[in-house]
Amino acid sequence: MTRLKRDSIAYLVVIGFSIVMLAWAIPNYTPEYPGYGASAALVPIVAVSVMLVMAVISLITIAIAVYTNKPLPEEEREFPEDLDHDDGFTQVGRVNLYHLAIIMIPSILLVVAVEYIGYVLTSIAFLIIFQYAIGSRKWVQIIALAVILTAVLYVVMRYGFGVPVPGPQILL
Amino acid sequence: MEMIFAGLLDSLSPASLMFVFIGVAVGVLIGAIPGINGPMAIALFIPVTYYMSPLTAIGFLVGLNKGAFFGGAVSAVLLRTPGTPEAAATAWDGYPLTQQGKGEKALRMALYSSVAGDFISTVVLILIAAPLAAVALFMGPAEIFALISLALTVIAGIGTSSILRGLIAAGFGILLGLIGTEPVTALPRLTFDMYQLGGGLSLIPVAIGLLAFSEILLQLEKLRARGGCDQAATKFSSKREDRLLSAREFFESKKTLLRGSLIGIGVGAMPGLGAPVASFMSYDQAMKRSPHKEEFGKGRLEGIAASESANSSVVAASLIPLFVLGIPGNLAAAMLMGAFMIHGMQPGPLLFQENAQLMYGIYGSLLLASLFLLVIGRFGLRYFCKAVNIPAMILYPIVVFTCIMGAYLGKSSMFDVGVMLTFGFVGYFMRKFDYSYVAFLIGLILAPEWERSLQQVVIISEYDTYMFFQRPVAMVLMALTLIVVVRTFWNSILAGRKKRLEAAAAAGAHKGD
Repeated sequence: MTRLKRDSIAYLVVIGFSIVMLAWAIPNYTPEYPGYGASAALVPIVAVSVMLVMAVISLITIAIAVYTNKPLPEEEREFPEDLDHDDGFTQVGRVNLYHLAIIMIPSILLVVAVEYIGYVLTSIAFLIIFQYAIGSRKWVQIIALAVILTAVLYVVMRYGFGVPVPGPQILL
Repeated sequence: MEMIFAGLLDSLSPASLMFVFIGVAVGVLIGAIPGINGPMAIALFIPVTYYMSPLTAIGFLVGLNKGAFFGGAVSAVLLRTPGTPEAAATAWDGYPLTQQGKGEKALRMALYSSVAGDFISTVVLILIAAPLAAVALFMGPAEIFALISLALTVIAGIGTSSILRGLIAAGFGILLGLIGTEPVTALPRLTFDMYQLGGGLSLIPVAIGLLAFSEILLQLEKLRARGGCDQAATKFSSKREDRLLSAREFFESKKTLLRGSLIGIGVGAMPGLGAPVASFMSYDQAMKRSPHKEEFGKGRLEGIAASESANSSVVAASLIPLFVLGIPGNLAAAMLMGAFMIHGMQPGPLLFQENAQLMYGIYGSLLLASLFLLVIGRFGLRYFCKAVNIPAMILYPIVVFTCIMGAYLGKSSMFDVGVMLTFGFVGYFMRKFDYSYVAFLIGLILAPEWERSLQQVVIISEYDTYMFFQRPVAMVLMALTLIVVVRTFWNSILAGRKKRLEAAAAAGAHKGD
């Protein structure tokens, strides 16, 4: 997939999202006009319209470039590989769904499981799975880090901030 | 005067002193770790400040930010991997010095330059913010609406190669910033019947997800692709002249330091430019004006002074638009604005009227943070250098788990952890697809104020659509907004055309071969 194709898909997603917001979400989930001031729907409509118009302009620009068969700059023909942008945050080319899944799935499971089996067990399990998923194979380090980190944050939250840790307290 | 002394005395309270000190120390440590920067650190640590007094909280976060700015120089000098983006220019001369065994001398220059730039900038902030805020008090809703429109347009161009994508991101941020209770009807809006969204999307889980969690997702992806990136430990020369920085060496760069500080103040005071711009601009000027141009990039201390004085002076200067107008000019200021709001204050000109004592307390904390940075940097330099060697396999699980618990801490709610993960996911795609998360976050923060000022304009003007034409300042600001949009579009069209012509020329040359 080229960068142009990927951008086009992204613009189509933005257009689809904007249409759903304008046609369904804003009319159904915005209070009715009370008779004074601006309508509660005005600013959301303006914001979504900006998104829609910008995405449409971008898509038209891409379409014109493609149909007039203009030569494309190198970076638009190929994926940018592992670029480090000067804003200091990492920027990489391809979307790696497998990588995303191995990080996101344990995190989502943590959110769900903590309500049932409590903070300590869930956190230790999460940290072990997470470290394994990112490639760590030193089991002593994996277990030690999971236990220490869970314990430190438990102490900080419970006794430092006086905040109850998430999940059933009985299984602490 | 009484208020000033009371505020300064507040900043000298044991709790305030302790947390500013901790903030600076933690900031230097975090900034030294490649991949973790100031805004990320503030996002991660804001939840910790829920339980502090406003002065202690803001002092801690300001200290954290100042520390992180200097910390970025540690990995830049030692590894040529800037811990923060603004330290990139520091690496150009710092790393060659490390290769010569003079890493400690380079770091000392970076430290003293950072402290000098930061101190000058803090003094300027103290001198001009309150008088400017007094002028800004004359601004009505029309001017505020126009000003926020201008700020959003300027900021839409940051962090992306396309203004169109920047505006999409800003629009998305504004849309999500409007979730919650609508101000006129006091009824829920865009909450999709979820009671947790009644108060709106919490800034902190969104910021942690967008800045920290998505960054870790990307860094881990890179790490896996490279198959690990453990760094070799850095060695310093044991010779005294290679380790220490003499007063003569420091004062040789006094003009560069002053110029860098002034550039940093100018750039920081303008929304949207940021520390990396100041740093590169100052370095460029130092090189052009130096009689030893050829030594730049090969280990010249003046290069480090130029970069560090400029980027550190941005920290306090970026608070000028925040304190005076309530507009965050960069990510760190946006995070600090979030912290102000969490503690029940709205940054802007009224802050000086309603919380004058607190503001002078914050000024005191800013000055103390400069002093602590000098002390901590001077005595802890060797220890902070070890932070650059923390293995990724230990660092990332700690950061990820801190993200999760930080998101939970605000409301003791796993719903916020879900919000954080969602925005980690969204942030991952925003970065992959080059959508500006800076514009998104600032749109999210400014949306309620933007809407409030619009509502006030509509109600005060009694639906007079020509109201902006009767307010000269508002009209000028709206005209500037339009000029910024047209100019940016025009520039992007020209840049696109230039690129295509170059591509066509390259294709022609290739055929000719």
